[in-house]
Amino acid sequence: MSMKAGGNRGKPGGGNAAGAAASGAGGSGGGRPNLGRGRHSGKGPAAVIFNGVYANMRMVHVLTSVVGTKCELKVKNGAVYEGVFKTYGPECDLVLDAAHRKSPEPSLGPRKEDIVDSIIFKASDVVVVTFKDVDLNFARKVSSDTDNFTDASVSGRINGEHKEKDLEPWDGGDTHNSDSLESLDTDVSNGWDPNDMFKYNEEKYGVLSTYDSSLSTYTVPLERDDSEEFQKREARAAQLAEEIEASATYKARVALENDERSEEEKYTAVVRGERETHMLSRENKYIPPGQRNREAMSWGAGRQNSPRLGQSSAGASASRPGPHDYSPNSGPDQRVVNGGPPRMSPKSQRTPRAHRVPPSRISSVSTGVDLGSHNPPGEVSAAPPTRSSSSGGTWSSVVSGAHRPRSPRQNNMGRASPGSSSLSSPQTGTAPVETVATLTLASSPAAAASPAPNMVASPSGDAKECRVQETRQSSPSANNDNMKPLDNSPSITRPLCKGPPSMAPDHRKQIDNLKQFSVDFRLQPSSNPDPAFDQMMTKPVRDPSDKPKDLALDKASAVGRDGPEQGAAGLAAGSSGAVPASSSSATATSKPGSPAAPSPSPSAPDQKRGGQDVISQGVQTTATMGGPKHEEKEEKKEAVQDQVRKSTLNPNANEFKPRFNAQPKPANTPTPPRPQGQPSPSIVVQQPPAVYGCFPQMYPLTPVSPGVQSPAVYQVQMPHMAVSQSKPYRTGKVPNMPQQRSDQHHPPGTPTMMHPATAAGPPIVAQNPVYSAQYFTCSPQQFTSQPLVQQMPHYQSQAQHMFSPVMQSSARMMGPPTHGQPGLVSSSTTQYPEQTHTMYVSQGPMPQQYPHPNATLHPHPQHPQPSATPTGQSHQGGPPQHGGPQSHPAASPVQHPQHQQAAAAAAAAAAQALHLSNAPPQQQLYSALAPTPPSMTPNPQSPQASFPSAQQTVYIHPQQVQHGYNPSHMAHVQQVGRCLNVCERPGIRTSNLSAF
Amino acid sequence: MAAPGPGEYFSVGSHVSCLTCLGQQLQGEVVAFDYQSKMLTLKCASSSGKPNLNDVILINLAYVSDVDIIHDRTETPPPLASLNVSKLANRARTEKEDKLSQAYAISAGVSVEGQQLFQTIHKTIKDCKWQEKNIIVMDDVVISPPYQVDNCRGKEGSALSHVRKIVEKHFRDVESQKSMQRSQAQQTQKDSTLSS
Repeated sequence: MSMKAGGNRGKPGGGNAAGAAASGAGGSGGGRPNLGRGRHSGKGPAAVIFNGVYANMRMVHVLTSVVGTKCELKVKNGAVYEGVFKTYGPECDLVLDAAHRKSPEPSLGPRKEDIVDSIIFKASDVVVVTFKDVDLNFARKVSSDTDNFTDASVSGRINGEHKEKDLEPWDGGDTHNSDSLESLDTDVSNGWDPNDMFKYNEEKYGVLSTYDSSLSTYTVPLERDDSEEFQKREARAAQLAEEIEASATYKARVALENDERSEEEKYTAVVRGERETHMLSRENKYIPPGQRNREAMSWGAGRQNSPRLGQSSAGASASRPGPHDYSPNSGPDQRVVNGGPPRMSPKSQRTPRAHRVPPSRISSVSTGVDLGSHNPPGEVSAAPPTRSSSSGGTWSSVVSGAHRPRSPRQNNMGRASPGSSSLSSPQTGTAPVETVATLTLASSPAAAASPAPNMVASPSGDAKECRVQETRQSSPSANNDNMKPLDNSPSITRPLCKGPPSMAPDHRKQIDNLKQFSVDFRLQPSSNPDPAFDQMMTKPVRDPSDKPKDLALDKASAVGRDGPEQGAAGLAAGSSGAVPASSSSATATSKPGSPAAPSPSPSAPDQKRGGQDVISQGVQTTATMGGPKHEEKEEKKEAVQDQVRKSTLNPNANEFKPRFNAQPKPANTPTPPRPQGQPSPSIVVQQPPAVYGCFPQMYPLTPVSPGVQSPAVYQVQMPHMAVSQSKPYRTGKVPNMPQQRSDQHHPPGTPTMMHPATAAGPPIVAQNPVYSAQYFTCSPQQFTSQPLVQQMPHYQSQAQHMFSPVMQSSARMMGPPTHGQPGLVSSSTTQYPEQTHTMYVSQGPMPQQYPHPNATLHPHPQHPQPSATPTGQSHQGGPPQHGGPQSHPAASPVQHPQHQQAAAAAAAAAAQALHLSNAPPQQQLYSALAPTPPSMTPNPQSPQASFPSAQQTVYIHPQQVQHGYNPSHMAHVQQVGRCLNVCERPGIRTSNLSAF
Repeated sequence: MAAPGPGEYFSVGSHVSCLTCLGQQLQGEVVAFDYQSKMLTLKCASSSGKPNLNDVILINLAYVSDVDIIHDRTETPPPLASLNVSKLANRARTEKEDKLSQAYAISAGVSVEGQQLFQTIHKTIKDCKWQEKNIIVMDDVVISPPYQVDNCRGKEGSALSHVRKIVEKHFRDVESQKSMQRSQAQQTQKDSTLSS
C-alpha cells in the first residue's frame, strides 16, 4: 500500500524534470538488488524525487489503475502466478496478494495451502503480466460523464502537466441571451403540447405516433342503425341510465366526485372533534413549548388560549392592555374555533356532535351575536350582543369547541331532562334566532353563575343535537338553542328560543355564507364567527371593542333576553326565577341583577352571576346591562375596547388564526351562556342555600377558589338535580355524564388536556383528567344523589378533590383562590395575570388558573356573575351542570372557558361567600375590581368569551374552570372585570335570586 | 518519457505487437513505457468481450522480441485522471479476501460445480460464504452439495426463491457454455488443421 501511495504521489507530483532525474538515477541502478530497498527507499525518495517507475507518470497511472485486480504473472521460467495486484515499486517490482502458482491443468481454484499471502516479483523476473477485464475508469475520482467541467475537474485532468489553466469567461453571445435563456424564463407553458411532440418526433426521428383519438384500440364505435332492435336497446339503455342516475347511491357517488369542497377541507382540515380526540391522545404526551403554540393554534382554543392566556396573563399582570389584546385575539380564535367545530360536525357526527355542540354553543353565543348583527330587526338588541359575542363569540366558540363534547352530553342531559326542564327545549327553539342566541348567551352568563355548568352542558347537548340535525350553520342556531335550553331550560329560554329559532334559519343561511367565508378564513365556526372574523380580521382590535360596545348594547338586549331566560330558568326553578325572567325579558335581567346585587349574599351571588353572565356576554351584555347600567356598559365597553386593543396585541395571536380560534373557543366556551341559561333557571332557585353552604365549606376545605367554585357549582347542580332536573340528570345526566366522560371527557378532556398542555403543559393534562374525572364523578353523584345534602357532600368531596388536584397542580391555585376568596379582588386581579402567566408558562397553569379565577378578579367580575349564578343560578346550573361537569370533560376547550368561568365561579363563589357575608362590600370590591378586570377581560376572552366563560365557570367552575381557565383565564380576568361590572348587575340578579 | 522520450521508443497511443520469449504474441495500444525498467504497458480489448473493460498487459521488453509498431500516433495523449486510492485499496483487499475465502472452501473439498456456482452467486449476491461445503447466502439460504436447485434450503420467501432462480440459471448457462466450448474447440481444431 505504501508503495501505491508513493506511486500515486509520484504520479501527480511527478514532473518531467523529476522523471528525468529519476531515470538517470534509478535506471542505471539496475538494481534488482536494490529492489527490496528500492521499495522501501522508494518511499523516501518518492517524496523528494521520484525514482524509476515512479517518475513515469503514465506508468504510475496505469499500474495504479489496475491495483486490486486479479492478474496472471508469467516469470522467466514460464511459471504462471495468479493473484491480486497489490502494488509496485520504483524499480517496477510487482506485489501480488493472495497469489498462487497456477497449475497447468485447469482447476477452478487454488487450495488454501497453495496461496501465498503476498509475493514480490522483481521486474527482472517478470516476463508479462496480464490483467484481465480491467475497468480503467474504476478509480477515477471524477467520472468523465458526471462532472468534467468544474474548474477542479478541468484542472485535475491536466494534473501536473500545466501549472495553471487560464480560465476564460464564457460569452454566450447575443443570440443565446435573447433566445434560449430568455425563453426559458418567459416560457410559462407546461411542457410540450402532445401534438408538438408528435410533430417533432416525426420530423426529427421519423417516428409516427399511433395515437388515435377514437381509442379504437380500446373500444369499438357504436354502430347505429334504424332497426327496431337497436332502438329498443337504445331506449332500454336510456332507461337504465336514468334509473341509475336517479339512484341515491349514484348521486352520492357523483356528489363525492363533484364535491366542491377542497381536499383540504374534506380530509386535512382541522376538525374540532378530532382535534379534541387528538388532544386526548396527546394529553399524556409532552409537548414542546414550540409545538404547544402550534397545537393551540391548530387544535384548540384551549392550548391556544393557554399560551395566549399565559401571555395575556403576563400581559395582564403587566397591564390591562395585554388582556384587551388577548380578548381581541380570543375573538378571532373563537371564530376560528367555531369554524373548527362546524368542520368537525360535518366529518364525524359523533365527535362533530360534541364539537358541534360546542360550536353550537359557541356559535350560539358568537353566532347569536353575529346573527344579532346580521338580523338588525328583532336582533337590534341581539345585534350588539352578537358583536360582543364576536369577541366573546370567538371565545365562546373556542369554549364551545371545548365544551362541545360536553355540550352534547349536556344536550343529552338537557334533552333527557328537557321534559323536566322545559328550558332546554325552549332554548333549542330559541336557539335559531340570533337574538335568542345572544340572549341565551347573555342568559347563559347570568345562568352561568350557578346554572352555567349545567346550562353549558345542556346547551352543548342541545347544541349537539341541533348540530347533528342542522348543519354547522344550523349549529349556531342549535347552539343558541342549546344555550337557551341550557340556560333557559327553565321557562324563559323557550320563549327566547322560539324567537331565535325563526331567526336561526336565516342566520343559518347567513351562517352558511359566513361558514364559507369562515372556511376560507378558517373561521369555520359559524356565520357568527365570520362576522366577528371579518371584523376581527379587518379590525381585530377595533372590532372587538366596537363590537363589544355595540354588542354591549345588543348584549344588553340580549342580556335582557338572557336575563329573561335566566329568569325563566329561575321561574322554572321557582317562582322567583319567573320574576327575574319577566323582568329580564329585555335588559331586565341585567338590570335586575344590579338591583339584586344588594340583595342577600345568596341571591347576590346569583345576581352577580347573572351580572357576570351579562358581563361575560359581553361586554355586550354589559351593554345590555348598560341599558340599565350605562356606566357599567360603558365600562364594559371600555373594557371591551381595551380588550379589543389588547386583543389587537393578541392580534398577533390572531395571526395565528388557530390560536385565535382556540382562544375564541374558550371565550365561546365561556359562552357560559349555556350554563347561565341552564343554571339560572332551575338551579338558582333551590341551590342558593346549599350552594352557599357548600361554598363556605368548600372555601375552608380548599383554599383554592376553584374548589370553592366547584363546590358551589356542585351544590348548585345538586339543587337543580333535586329540583326539576333530577330526572333528567339521573337519566339524562347519568347518561350524559358517561357520555361526557367518554365523549366529552375525552374530547373535552383532551381539549382540556390540550388546553392545559398548551397552556401549562403536561401538568395541566393531568389536572384536567382529574378535573374531568372529578367532574364526572361529581356529576354522576349529583345525578345519582338528588338530595342536595348528599350532593353537597359529594360536591365538597369532589370540590376537595378538585382542589387537591389543583393544589397539587400548583400551589398557586391555592394562593389565587385564597386571594380571590379573601376578597382581595384587586390583589387577585393582579394575581390573575401572574397566575395566568404561570399557568401558561408552567403546567401549573390549571391551578394557577384556578386561583386566577378565584383570586383573580375574574372571579370577582365573574364572581359577581358567578356569585349570581353560583349562588342562585350556578346552583341551579350546578345540577344542569352535571352537565357542567360534563361540560368540563367535554369542554376541554370549553372547559377552559368553563374553567375560567369555573374559576370565576369559584371566585364568584368565594365572592359570593364574601358576598353572603358582605355582599355589598364585595360588590364594591367587585366593582372596584371590575375596572381592573375589565382591562383583563378586555383580553380576548373578557368580552364575549369571558362572559360566557364566566357564566360557565359558575357552573363548571371547579373542573372546567381549571381546564378552561388556562386559556380563558385571561378572558376570565377580563370577564372578571366584566363580572365586576356585572357585580353591580349581579346585584340585580341577586335581587332576582333573592326574589327566587 | 525518461531518457528516450515518447518519440524514440513507444509513443502513447501507438499500437504495437511483440513476441515474448515464451512464445506469446501480444498486441495492443501503448499506455505507458518505462525506459529504465523496460516495462511496456499495453491496453487490449477485453478477452471476455465486454465493451467497458480492457485487458492490461505489462510486458518486460527484456524478454520480448519482434517488437513491431503497427501504427504510430503523434498526437499528444489525453491527460490522466486522478485516481481514488482508497477505492483501489478497498478493491485490493476485498479481492484478496474473496480469493482466500474461496481457497478455503476449495481446500475443504468443494466440487468444481460448487465453486462455479459460488462464483456465480457471488456475482449477484455479495453476501455469500462457504460453510464447510455449504454455500450460505445472506445467512438465510443454505445450498448443500451437489448444489442443485433442490438443494437450496431455507426459510420460504423471496430470498430462497431468488437464490433458486440464480442456481437454476447458473446450471443452464453452464450447460450452454459447455456446448459452445465444444463447438468452438471443434471449430478451432478445424481451423488449425485447415491452416496447417
